[in-house]
Amino acid sequence: MPVVVCPACDLAHRASNAPVTERTRCVRCHALVQRRENRAIDTAIALAAAALVLFFLSNAYPLVVIDYNGTTRSATLLDAAAGLYTQGHSALAWLVFITTVLGPLLQIAILLYVLIPLRHKRQAPGQNSVYRLLTQIRRWTFVEVFMLGSLVALVRLSGYAEVMTGVSLWSCGLLMLTLAALTTHTSPAQFWRWVERSRA
Amino acid sequence: MSAQFTGKSLGLLLCLQCHATVRALSIRYPRCPRCHAHLFQRKPHSLGVTAALLICAAVLYVPANLLPVMYTRSLLEDEKDTIMSGVLVLLHNSWPIAVLVFIASIVVPLLKIISLSVLVVSAWRRSPRQRAQRSQLFRMVDFIGRWSMLDVYAISLLVALVQIRTLAFVGVGWGAVCFAAVVVLTLFAARTFDERLLWDAAP
Repeated sequence: MPVVVCPACDLAHRASNAPVTERTRCVRCHALVQRRENRAIDTAIALAAAALVLFFLSNAYPLVVIDYNGTTRSATLLDAAAGLYTQGHSALAWLVFITTVLGPLLQIAILLYVLIPLRHKRQAPGQNSVYRLLTQIRRWTFVEVFMLGSLVALVRLSGYAEVMTGVSLWSCGLLMLTLAALTTHTSPAQFWRWVERSRA
Repeated sequence: MSAQFTGKSLGLLLCLQCHATVRALSIRYPRCPRCHAHLFQRKPHSLGVTAALLICAAVLYVPANLLPVMYTRSLLEDEKDTIMSGVLVLLHNSWPIAVLVFIASIVVPLLKIISLSVLVVSAWRRSPRQRAQRSQLFRMVDFIGRWSMLDVYAISLLVALVQIRTLAFVGVGWGAVCFAAVVVLTLFAARTFDERLLWDAAP
């Protein structure tokens, strides 16, 4: 008899009793136990490709431009980490770099690396370990927090200088939404269902 | 409800990576047959590791709030900002943002340390009280934790932007490093805590 175990409280549920609705919650602790996982792999690849384009846009253009009595300064996503690094706070710089630049890039790269072969019923070399790395990285990607943080910085500066938003701020916002969609679209359960289907 | 079975009582392991349900074997370090992640009934040394991380975070919370997170140097004045004085500066510009920063950088880390400590102690004592609420509290803490990084990002952008030769300069203070350490430590603490321990003694 197939059994589904709640990841949050370890309660065993009989799988046949669980109706295939959108979401099945644990009867004891109400954590999400199962979700309907029948999304298309093509959509995931398309989302990843879109995210890749947005990632490059976000890094190529400045996030914010300020005008301070005629002197203009701009900062890109990478500058935020680099500025901390030049001031000697390398640990802080790495934290910002990993959570805003490396995290999103690795997420997109890993997904494209495993999903494109999977679409052709093949498996990329090292697929399992790479996917495990992805689930770790997902916990350390804070693009949405960075967006709000830049808003705070803009408000703080608005008293002293003229502040203009850059192209990157908008593409970063879109990247944030695309990454969120990509994460729900390629949930572990969904991913492993695609893998099992490709093995069949 | 009739008798409840758990994965543990049925001899089943749940892979936390791919959510596969695996029959427990008497192997020393079992791995998931589907994704090859390490399998364990409960996260190893969960309560001890979480408690250690929380103690470090609680200690660092003090300098994070007392030391300046940011130095501002301009033609007219030199200023040192702690997290709280930064909130007060923001209050002049826009109060909703100030409230947001106050909640994200001062209230959330403190509440996170307190509630995770309560969860660790209650899981350790196998307290039968309000399991569902504690479970929900953990999920909330886990979800909200990342938003504390808000101030770190705001400071990093200010540092990158305000370097206008001799006119104005913004530097990072050690308070920001302590603060980031608090956030990272509590993020790890939430990760090492095994929420299933809250339910283990349940009837």
